[in-house]
Amino acid sequence: MDFNLDDNQRMLHEMVDRYLTNTHDLAMRRKLHADPVAEAAHWREMADLGLIGAAFPEERGGFAASSAEAMVVMERFGRHLVTQPYLYTAIICGRLLIDGLSGSLRDETIAAVIAGERQMALAAGSTHLLRSPEDTCFTARRDGAGWTLSGRMPVVMNGDRADQFIVAARTAGSSGERAGVTLFLVDAAACGLSRRGFRTIDAFGAGELVLDEVTVGAERLVGPEDGGVALVDVALDHGVVAICNEAVGAMDYLIPASAEYTRTRVQYSAPLAKFQVLQHRMADMYIKNEMAKSMALVAAMSLDGDGVERQRMASAAKAQVAAAGKFVGYQAVQLHGGMGVSEELDIGHHYIRLNIIAHLFGDASFHLRRFGALAQTARAAA
Amino acid sequence: MDLSIDAKATALRAEIREFFARNLPADFARKTLAGDKLTKEEHNYWHSLLSPKGWNVPLWPKEHGGPGWGPMERFIWEEESGLVGAPRLNHVSQDLLGPVLIEFGTPEQKAELLPRILSSEDWWCQGFSEPQAGSDLANLQMRAVRDGDHYVVTGTKLWTSYAHLCNKIFCLVRTSVDGPKQAGISFLLVDMEQPGVKVSPIYTLGGMLTVNEVQVDEVRVPVTNLVGSEGGAWDITRFLLANERLMGAWIGVNMAFARQVRERLEQVGPDGRRRSEDQVLAQRVAEAESDLLALRYTTYRVLADELSGKAPGPEVSVIKVRGGEIMQALTELLMELAGAEGMVHPLSLPHGGPPVVPFELEHMAQQFFDRRKLTIYGGSSEIQRNIIARRLLNV
Repeated sequence: MDFNLDDNQRMLHEMVDRYLTNTHDLAMRRKLHADPVAEAAHWREMADLGLIGAAFPEERGGFAASSAEAMVVMERFGRHLVTQPYLYTAIICGRLLIDGLSGSLRDETIAAVIAGERQMALAAGSTHLLRSPEDTCFTARRDGAGWTLSGRMPVVMNGDRADQFIVAARTAGSSGERAGVTLFLVDAAACGLSRRGFRTIDAFGAGELVLDEVTVGAERLVGPEDGGVALVDVALDHGVVAICNEAVGAMDYLIPASAEYTRTRVQYSAPLAKFQVLQHRMADMYIKNEMAKSMALVAAMSLDGDGVERQRMASAAKAQVAAAGKFVGYQAVQLHGGMGVSEELDIGHHYIRLNIIAHLFGDASFHLRRFGALAQTARAAA
Repeated sequence: MDLSIDAKATALRAEIREFFARNLPADFARKTLAGDKLTKEEHNYWHSLLSPKGWNVPLWPKEHGGPGWGPMERFIWEEESGLVGAPRLNHVSQDLLGPVLIEFGTPEQKAELLPRILSSEDWWCQGFSEPQAGSDLANLQMRAVRDGDHYVVTGTKLWTSYAHLCNKIFCLVRTSVDGPKQAGISFLLVDMEQPGVKVSPIYTLGGMLTVNEVQVDEVRVPVTNLVGSEGGAWDITRFLLANERLMGAWIGVNMAFARQVRERLEQVGPDGRRRSEDQVLAQRVAEAESDLLALRYTTYRVLADELSGKAPGPEVSVIKVRGGEIMQALTELLMELAGAEGMVHPLSLPHGGPPVVPFELEHMAQQFFDRRKLTIYGGSSEIQRNIIARRLLNV
């Protein structure tokens, strides 16, 4: 058993860290958020460094020995508050492209993604749950050899800038049924597609997506007809584990940053760090982060193995991370006092992101339910 | 023991409700309840509707233009205005400085300044916190040096709420460095519309602009702007804070949030089911509701003590800690219940065309993250626990 990064993963970790330390502080992030051209250039720079390729296995044109490599990248992204759509383009849609496409369409699409020339967004699930792909915002009906898609989804992550969407549309059955959802690869430039961009509160790009009788060829199906839900489930497991590792990167920053602040901030003639109640607070932050970190690592190492284990570990990790992230983020702000709620420090931005991560792709109660159900399944099978 | 409220107070509640129903502009209430902000002009308009009854200054006695209410009437006003979504922004002038001037001001200060608050001509902000004086307020450094008939004031105030909308500021300033820290602090009124006063915005989580840094550089302030005696600010500050001690419960506002949470919980989701069928979620909502009920009656207990002339104890700190935490829990539930639509950044939404998400959801995330400050400002939860512990342990 070894929880250390191997040589390649360590090099990747250090390379990402070095690059972001030099290009991604608060002031630079602010510039990126205000300037779409600079943001796009930053994305291509990350592609040139090979970061997007780290999310794809060698036989698909990338250089990942396992799915854990991308998690190493996400951990550092969490530390540096990266709001680029690595999660959506490389990890979630990347997994759907690997699992759901074949032949030259797959190879060309993945090559364009790895090169940083194409960004992707997944328009699956409903507005309320951010998780269940059996609820869809879109419908598709057969139209000659192809399909015609219609519907509206108000919040599609990375929907503001994606070059292509993977759209989950109901092709059979009714809402809430696992069968009957089909995934389609849709160009952002498609006739009948319209969108309006904005950001979510954690500064990630998002967009409203409207499809009005958009025609898609039959060869643009991602995965089997009516069989999209299982694919999205796997992709979202990768997404869950990715944000768990992102959260750990954030917490690994917040805890020492809070310790340092309390060592220097003097009130009542003493550094805050002298107050035992605050010392214990920081010890609790550390305890929660260590538990979350263990599960984020285990979940990363379980992504490529048995499906039930992947799901169990992803859900167990998410439950730990959701609770730890909310606590650590909340207390890091508390320890920084007014400075913690200011936009002038990273602390508050991490706090926001950790709270969004807690809810994204299913909150703690969703994942505990799933974890419990899987435990029953495993027991019944034994 | 008796839970009933006397007939006079009950009649007042009905009168207030009827007044709101007739006079509160629907879009004001809608915006306030949805976490959106009104402009200064809109606030002034609302205050002008309230002023014939003196309800814009609920803490003031009749002789100065207020309603002459007692603690129970004031609290009912607070509950009802929060619940209905009545806007509230100039509270620092109306509820904090006004009573201070009435209690400690000179006849000249009262005659000049009280009418200007009543008419909304003056908007005052509160210059208390400083870079090195947060929890430890007595550590403040802004200095006022006597020079003839003036003080020359220099220093920096931090986290000053709504300073960007105000024309005047009352400051705690250091007039002496001798003796105990508290004894060298004075309460000074400063006109902000003059050279040497600089207001810089501080943006907080979710892109909110409510707090500012106020720099004062060699500003000459007439000694007649001193409230109370030189070095006497600590008692005035205690009096001022006592006037907002039940405000920290945010009962009315919290009840409005709880009502919204309950409504959304009972709505049918896109999967065709009520959200309340999610038992974990339903239980969390019930927990928040029962917490709020306990907070409400704890507040009423303090109020009843006050009416019977008993001095308030550390229950006030209980109210401050739990009031903030409960509002954080309720606003978090509102964000969660709105799902992905509750995560949008309101400042980034496209203008024009049909709304991307319903107006009621646009500010859900911003509102939740903005409420993070509640357990930090006005005496952090740690300070409140110190107060409780000191009383408990008698140390």
